Amino acid sequence: MFFTAITTVAITLFIVGFFIIIVFDIQGVLSSIKNQVEIAVYLKDNVTDELKTYLENEIKGWDEISQVIFVSKDQALEKFKKENEGSEILKEIQGNPLPASFELELKSPEKVEQVALRFMDKDGNFIEGVDEVIYGQNYVQKLFSITAIVGTIAFLIIVVLLLAAIVLIFNTIRLAIHARRKEIEVMKLVGATNWFVRLPFLFEGFFEGFIGSIISVVLLYFLSNYLLIRVEKAIVDTMHIKDLAILGNNNIILYIYAGLVILGGLLGIFSSGFALKRYISV
Amino acid sequence: MNMIEFKNVTKVYEDGNVALKNVNIVIKKGEFVFLVGPSGSGKSTLIKLLIREIPVTTGSIFVAGRNICNLKASRIPQLRRNIGYVFQDFKLLPNKTIFENVAFALEVIGKPAYAIKVQVPQVLKLVGLASKVNSYPHQLSAGEQQRISIARAFVNRPPILLADEPTGNLDPATSDGIMKLLSRINLIGTTVAMASHDKSIVNSMRRRVIELEEGEVIRDQKRGVYGS
Repeated sequence: MFFTAITTVAITLFIVGFFIIIVFDIQGVLSSIKNQVEIAVYLKDNVTDELKTYLENEIKGWDEISQVIFVSKDQALEKFKKENEGSEILKEIQGNPLPASFELELKSPEKVEQVALRFMDKDGNFIEGVDEVIYGQNYVQKLFSITAIVGTIAFLIIVVLLLAAIVLIFNTIRLAIHARRKEIEVMKLVGATNWFVRLPFLFEGFFEGFIGSIISVVLLYFLSNYLLIRVEKAIVDTMHIKDLAILGNNNIILYIYAGLVILGGLLGIFSSGFALKRYISV
Repeated sequence: MNMIEFKNVTKVYEDGNVALKNVNIVIKKGEFVFLVGPSGSGKSTLIKLLIREIPVTTGSIFVAGRNICNLKASRIPQLRRNIGYVFQDFKLLPNKTIFENVAFALEVIGKPAYAIKVQVPQVLKLVGLASKVNSYPHQLSAGEQQRISIARAFVNRPPILLADEPTGNLDPATSDGIMKLLSRINLIGTTVAMASHDKSIVNSMRRRVIELEEGEVIRDQKRGVYGS
């Protein structure tokens, strides 16, 4: 029964842990994408330095903005040339058709629309000096609603999995104790105190939970180091996401591991304690 | 000295079944008492009340002068250490050897290992099974298993020994052996109370007989027989 309980703990916590890691990973990817939400404000070619400076100071005064970078016409062209080095397009370009722009980074990406609207007047025209404002209107809104839905669903699934794990572990330990009810009865009738009967079972429950959760953590460690990291790299490479670091060099995964081990140990002790109640009251 | 005393004891189970009605019994130190009566007459209830396996409904029970009805839960183990209990179905643990089964009763009450090493062989010798120390229960006959059960109940030398139908699962010849053993334990000064509906045993022993019927004491006779 000892090994049955350990195996049950190991398998159930492995599934719970695996799902938690996956969810954190997805959330990590989504928030990395979110943080790259930018607003590009393209200026008309005839903008005066005065107007440019006025706009820059105005924007810098907004609370939602974390950074404003001015890209002049020349810088824009240089950047364009760099990005398209060796391409036919460069030969076609005469003069500098690229506009100057402000690149805005936001403190909270959810407010992107709100900020973008400030560049328009009441009639829906852009304010003086601004030619166009681009922030990926459609995809940003979708991204935010997807993130919210994924977060809620993932949370619900984790809760259900966790409850299933608790019920399974409790039942396994209860069965193990049920198998020894005769022993408990005899102990009680020859004058054992409750704690004399209880203590070994609590220790056993703790060890079952502890060892089982350690096994699940070891499995998760190998799985995340050899599988998830690769998946993550693939995502990063295909989607051009910068600063994605949910696994590997992130502490979150260590907290997940620690949480699983603590959960395993506590589940073992409490399951034993609750299961014993019925048999100990002789 | 009164070893066991029931004073106006009534026991009603949760399902409404009245198991004992206003029972008054006094058993003196060193006595050997048979509790007789048909199944359901209240014999087992009487024994279960004595070790506080179940609580009384009304009345009081005294063991060695102490009222055990208002005993705190934490004091119940202490009571049980002074009462040996022999079961009809032995209740030996199948995965433990004979030595371990008997030693178990001492370990449970916190006796040190050196005391256990001395006391267990002694009591096994008393029940005549010193050679079976390393056997397992299933390797023993039913009569031998009951002797082990008695050894376990008595290893702690309790002043009281309760036996609930100890010969219920045994043939007559084996039962005689068990009765001789219980008599010997009684002779050393132990108060013995034994529930039984084995007519021939009760008749051959000629000891005090308390007869119960539907929860009431209908006969209490010194040197009695099974039927009146």
